[in-house]
Amino acid sequence: MMAHRIIGQSIGRIDGIGKVSGESRYSGDVTLPGLVWGKALRSPLPHARIVRIDTSRAKALAGVLAVLTARDLPDILVGRRMFDMPMLARDRVRFIGEKVAVIAAVDPDVAEEALALIDVEYEDLPAVFDPVEAIQAGAPILHANPAAYEGALPERPHPNVQSVLRFKLGDVEAGFREADRTFEHTFRTQLDHQGYLEPHAGVVAIDEEGRVQVWASNKMPFRLKELLSHALRLPPERIRVNLTPIGGDFGGKGSLMDLPLAYHLARVTGRPVKMLMRYAEELMAGNPRHPSVITMRTGVRNDGRIVARRVKALFNSGAYAAFKPAPSVNLGGTGMGAGVYRIPNLLIESFCVYSNNIPCGHARSPGEPQMVFAGESHMDMIARELALDPADLRRRNLLRDGDHLANGHHLEHVRASDTLEAALKASHWSEPKPGPWIGRGMAMTHRHIGVGFTNARVRLETSGTVTLSIALPDTGTGAHLVLRQVAAEVLGLAIGEVEIEIANTDDFTTDSGVGGSRVTHTGGRAAFHAAEKLKEQIQTEASKHGLSVSARAEIAQAAAKDGRTLEASHFYDAKAHGAVTSFTAQVAEVAVDPATGQVTVRHFTTAHDVGTIINPIGHQGQIEGGLIQGLGFALIEEMKTEEGRISTLSLGDFKLPTIQDIPPLTTVILQDPVGPGPFNAKAIGEGSISAVAPAIANAVADACGVRILDLPITAEKVYYALREKVAP
Amino acid sequence: VIRLTVNGTPHELEVPSYRTLLDCLRYDLGLTGSKEGCGVGVCGACTVLLDGKMISSCIALAVFADGRSVTTVEGIAEDERLHPVQQAFVDSGGFQCGICTPGQIVSAKALLDTIPNPSDAEIREWMLGNLCRCTGYYKIVESIRAAAQRSPA
Repeated sequence: MMAHRIIGQSIGRIDGIGKVSGESRYSGDVTLPGLVWGKALRSPLPHARIVRIDTSRAKALAGVLAVLTARDLPDILVGRRMFDMPMLARDRVRFIGEKVAVIAAVDPDVAEEALALIDVEYEDLPAVFDPVEAIQAGAPILHANPAAYEGALPERPHPNVQSVLRFKLGDVEAGFREADRTFEHTFRTQLDHQGYLEPHAGVVAIDEEGRVQVWASNKMPFRLKELLSHALRLPPERIRVNLTPIGGDFGGKGSLMDLPLAYHLARVTGRPVKMLMRYAEELMAGNPRHPSVITMRTGVRNDGRIVARRVKALFNSGAYAAFKPAPSVNLGGTGMGAGVYRIPNLLIESFCVYSNNIPCGHARSPGEPQMVFAGESHMDMIARELALDPADLRRRNLLRDGDHLANGHHLEHVRASDTLEAALKASHWSEPKPGPWIGRGMAMTHRHIGVGFTNARVRLETSGTVTLSIALPDTGTGAHLVLRQVAAEVLGLAIGEVEIEIANTDDFTTDSGVGGSRVTHTGGRAAFHAAEKLKEQIQTEASKHGLSVSARAEIAQAAAKDGRTLEASHFYDAKAHGAVTSFTAQVAEVAVDPATGQVTVRHFTTAHDVGTIINPIGHQGQIEGGLIQGLGFALIEEMKTEEGRISTLSLGDFKLPTIQDIPPLTTVILQDPVGPGPFNAKAIGEGSISAVAPAIANAVADACGVRILDLPITAEKVYYALREKVAP
Repeated sequence: VIRLTVNGTPHELEVPSYRTLLDCLRYDLGLTGSKEGCGVGVCGACTVLLDGKMISSCIALAVFADGRSVTTVEGIAEDERLHPVQQAFVDSGGFQCGICTPGQIVSAKALLDTIPNPSDAEIREWMLGNLCRCTGYYKIVESIRAAAQRSPA
C-alpha cells in the first residue's frame, strides 16, 4: 500500500466547529426580514371524501395572512419518481396526516391557533391497512388509475400495487426440483422512522428578481431544484437552493415535503415563509421505513448447498408512492433476498402496495434491514433443521470471486469468507457460552459502493491556501472533511491549508447529492481529479516564474498579476456499480431474562471488509451509528399503527436507543484497497445496520429456543413465546 | 415583561405567557444554537442551563426564567477559545450532523462541573436524556472522557 500523509489520519471534525459552538445555521434557523410561518392542517381520517372546507373563521383571525386549500393551487401532483401525491388533498384524503389546508401567519402560535378554526366536513370511505388485504379482490381502491401517473411503471397485478421489482437468476422451479429439502418461513418487520432529530424544515422566499430562494433540509439540492421546477411549473433557473447543514438524514431527507406549499404561501403573501414540521408531524406524515411481510422459500441439498430460493416481499407503502426515488418505484434493497450467497436459481419479487397508511420512503439502506432480517433468520432456521453450525451452512454457500449478485452484477475481490471468519474469531464463536440463557447469533450482509455524479472546483488563493468548492450538503457524515483530506493529499498540503466553500445550485450545473453510500466515492473522486488538475497548473505556473512549487502564495500572486486565477474543476460521473462490494459479518451475544423475556445484548462484534480508510474517526463513526440504528430496529423502535392511526406520536412513545442501550462493541476491520473511491476507498455508511436484527434474533433463539419472526424483538414477545414453549 | 440573563448578558423583553423559553431564545433573542427536536422534553436538543441546572427549554415557559440566569451552547466557549468539552467533541468525533450537539455540549459541561472525573457509568447515567441518532453514542462517551482528562481538575 502506498504511504499517505493525510489519507488515513484520524483528523477530528474540524469542519464542525460551528456545530459545537452553536453557530451553525440549519434550514430551520434561517431567518429573513418579514418572515412568516406556514402550518398545515392534516386529515384526522385514513380515507374520506372531503365534502366541504370552510376557512373563513381562520382567515378572520388577527395575524393570519393566508389560508390555502387545493382549490387555490394548480392541479399538479408531486413526487420523486412517481408523481401521485397532491400538495394538498383534493376532494379526498388517503391517510391520517395528509395535508388538507395550509396557513401563513405572523408567528407559529397564531398559525397553530388558526388551524383549529378551519372546518372540514368529511365523509368516510372504506379503508384498507394491511398489505396482504390491500391486494385481494374487492379491497378498497386508493387510486382510480395509478398507471396514468407520471413515472408509473406498467406492471400492475392489482390496482393497489405501486410497483413490482423482480430479480431472477437461473430457473427457480428447476432448482427446487434438485433440492433434497425445502424450507419456507414468513417474517414481518415494523414501521420505523429514520429518527433524525431535526424534523423537516424549509424556508422559501421570492426575491426582488422573482427568483425562488430555498433553504431546506434536503440532501439532493439539484434534484430538489428539478422537482420544485416540476411542482411549481417554473423554469429551473428561477430556483436557487441554498445549502445548509442537515440535522440527520438516514435516507429521509430527499423529498419536497412542505416546500411547494411554502412557495405558494410566499407567492400569495409576498413574504418569506418558514415551515417546520413538529416531531409529531414527522411521525404522522414523514416518510418512514417501509414495513414488510417477507416469505422466503429455500431449497437445499442434504449437504447444505442452496440450489434454489424464492422470495416474495410485500412492502406496505402507504397512500402514495411519491417518496420513493428509484426508477423502479420500489426498494433496491430487496435484491438482498439472496443474501451473501451463491444461489444458482433465484426469484425475488417485491411488491410495493398502496394502503391507507403513512406513505413510506427511503431509510438507511432502503429495503435491506427488512430483507436481511428475513434472509439471515431463515438461514439460521435452516441450519438448525439440518443440524449444522450456522457458520458452516454459511461457509458452504458464500459468494466467491466471479459469482453474480441477484441484480446480475459479477463480483471480484470477494472477501465474504475472510469477513465471516474474522467476526467468528473476534467473537469467540466456538468457545463455550458463559452461562445459561445466553446465546450467540450471527448474520452477514454486503453493501454496494454508491454511484452518482459530483462537481468539484479547487482554487489556489493568493494567500497560498486552496479552496475546495462543492455543492454537496453536509448530512453529518464528515464528507466535507473527507474531501478536504483528499485534496490536501493530492496537493501536498496540510489539512488546514484546504478550506471548503459550500456552493449552491447556481454555482454548478448538477450533482447527484448525498445518498446510497456514494459521497466518498463520487465527491472524493471529483475532488481528487480537480486537485490533480490544479497541481499541474501550479507546476506549470511555478516553472514559468522560476518559483518553487511550494511557494504557493507567490505562484498565485504571479498568476493574479497576469489576471489569472489558478482554478480547476472536475465532473465525476460513475454510472454503473463496479464489481466490488463490502461484506459485513456480525455476532451478537445476548442474555434472555426468563422471568420477563427481556433481551440484553451482552456484546456485539462487527467485522467489515473495507477499502482505504480516509478518516478513521469518521469511518468508525459510521459503523457505530449504523449499528445502533440497527439495534433500535431490532429491539426497540416501532411506530405502532391501528387502523392507519399511529399511536406513538412523540419520541417519548416512539423510542430510540439511548446512551444506556449501547452494548460493549468489538469492531474488526479488513482493509483491502480495491474500491472505486479516491485512493481506493469503498463505502461504509450503510454497512453496519442491516445484519444487526437477525444477529440478535439468532442469538435469542440460541439462548432460549424462541424464534421471533417479527420485529422488534420486545420482551413481551419473548416472554409469551417462552410461556408457550413451556406449556404443553 | 421578563428580565433574564442569557450567557451573561441581561435582557428585558415582553413575551406572551405561552412563549416557551426555547422559542424566546431562538426567535426573540436570535440564539438559534439551541434546537427543537422532539418538542416534548425527551430528546435533549434544547437543553440549556437555568441557574446552572439542566432543563429542556422546549417545555419550559419563558416567564419561568424571569429573574434567572440562562446558559446556552453559545455561552459555553470561553472568549474565543472552545471549552474543553467542545474541543473534545471535535477531536473525538462526538458529533456528526450536529443537531443534538448543542444539548450534548451543555449537558456534558454540567456533568463535568458536577463530577469532574466521571466514570463511564456516570457519563451514561447523566447523558441519558440527550438522544443522538448519528454517533451511536460511543464517541460521545469518548469525547466526555477526553474532556475530563483535559479540563483543569
